[in-house]
Amino acid sequence: MNFQAPQSADTTGAVQAPTPTVQSAPHQAGAPVKVEARDVNVHYGDKQALFNVSITIPDHAVTAFIGPSGCGKTTFLRCINRMNDLIPGCRVNGIVEIDGKNAYAKNVDPVVLRARIGMVFQKPNPFPKSIYENVAYGPRIHGMAASKSDLDVIVERSLRRAGLWEEVKDRLAQSGAGLSGGQQQRLVIARTVAVDPDVILMDEPCSALDPIATARIEELIDELRANYCIIIVTHSMAQAARVSQKTAFFHLGTLVETGSTEEIFQNPRDKRTQDYITGRFG
Amino acid sequence: MGDHIVRAYDQALEHLSSDLAKMGGLAESQVNDAITAITRRDTALAQTVIQRDAKIDAAQKEVEKRCTSLLALRQPMANDLREVMAAWKISSDLERVGDLAKNIAKRTLVINQSDPIQLTKSIERMGRLAAAHLKQVLDAYSSREVAPALAIWFQDEDIDAHYNSLFRELLTYMMEDPRTIGPCAHLLFVAKNIERIGDHSTNIAETLHYLVTGEEIASERPKADDDRAMDT
Repeated sequence: MNFQAPQSADTTGAVQAPTPTVQSAPHQAGAPVKVEARDVNVHYGDKQALFNVSITIPDHAVTAFIGPSGCGKTTFLRCINRMNDLIPGCRVNGIVEIDGKNAYAKNVDPVVLRARIGMVFQKPNPFPKSIYENVAYGPRIHGMAASKSDLDVIVERSLRRAGLWEEVKDRLAQSGAGLSGGQQQRLVIARTVAVDPDVILMDEPCSALDPIATARIEELIDELRANYCIIIVTHSMAQAARVSQKTAFFHLGTLVETGSTEEIFQNPRDKRTQDYITGRFG
Repeated sequence: MGDHIVRAYDQALEHLSSDLAKMGGLAESQVNDAITAITRRDTALAQTVIQRDAKIDAAQKEVEKRCTSLLALRQPMANDLREVMAAWKISSDLERVGDLAKNIAKRTLVINQSDPIQLTKSIERMGRLAAAHLKQVLDAYSSREVAPALAIWFQDEDIDAHYNSLFRELLTYMMEDPRTIGPCAHLLFVAKNIERIGDHSTNIAETLHYLVTGEEIASERPKADDDRAMDT
């Protein structure tokens, strides 16, 4: 198999997605805003799950959402790639902008949007296909590769980015389900980066993994942030402290406090944040 | 400080705080006894001070051990983290205060072999002031109150001023009667030690400010600087 990369195989821009024209979001010093939410409210039927959440999320950085179970952090994460559209009875109000473009505008195709905003879940969920096919599937259906050799290039590059290439290069035809949990999670991350997303959402990506596999994923997250805007929901405050540059604390459906991760863990402003991160309520 | 879901965590933090309070009490009495010993030319008391210093050293090791174990086992965050860092820093200030008191006591033994010098009264005033500052700042630590600690932080100037005037007096004394140079030189070191005890109190005030507010003290500390004394 020839994996030598022809330069033309660069797939950037191959995804037909709403491209930004105006950067309306305010910029933080040195950190361009990738995602901005303003007054986001979410209802599940009669029950309101999120109350007026407004936040800006910087590009090329890891932002962690922390908070007790049921605080709305996952609900908010799922607003960003419109995963909540799939839940019957779920209503989302407010504005979510990616690169200054409203993600909920009438002309936005959620499927295209989700190709730009990859998602990694708690449990690794590789397709019941070969390792190669797991990674190749997205680029193929999005028409990102003109030929088999283009696809080979994308697969290798994605597996390398996910830090999995050396471990699986000799068994690409084997089933993805045969990998260990940590490897499967990295396979899923490879699958996510294969379609060259702008934003990667991670919903407790390490909670099913042992400490070694967790450390590898965390190392990977740190490498990936050079190229992507990463948002991670985690129950482990230590993990939020280790991997993120910005932290947002949710409680009872409201966004209580956001700040640099160092600030939040050393000197939080809000009593509720302090109580939560110091283990005073759960 | 309480209310952690894990009660053992609360207990560990409480132990740390009470260990530090005890250590503070020890340091206070060491300073007071050292000042009393030099004022009253009490050799026996000076010797007690010298011997008791080992207790403060042991207390510091104990506090450091507790801090290390809290960091390793509980991964404290936010105010809890500041609590541990503050205990660590304050314990090392107190250990230094203990050393300075011990050094005063050692010099007392030497000074007591010469004739009494009138200036020990000034030393006493300065020493009591430093001891009072230390007490106030440690009380502020116990109650986690920033205001009284800040007051001490601003008042350290007074100790510096005492030091500067003592320095001049001692110089005059030595020039008048060269036979007093030996004990006066020791008194000069004693005065410097007391001045440094004052500095440690201001360190503790700064640490307490960080512990309670999470911020460094914003302004510059007023200083009656040594520079003028050095020009003399």
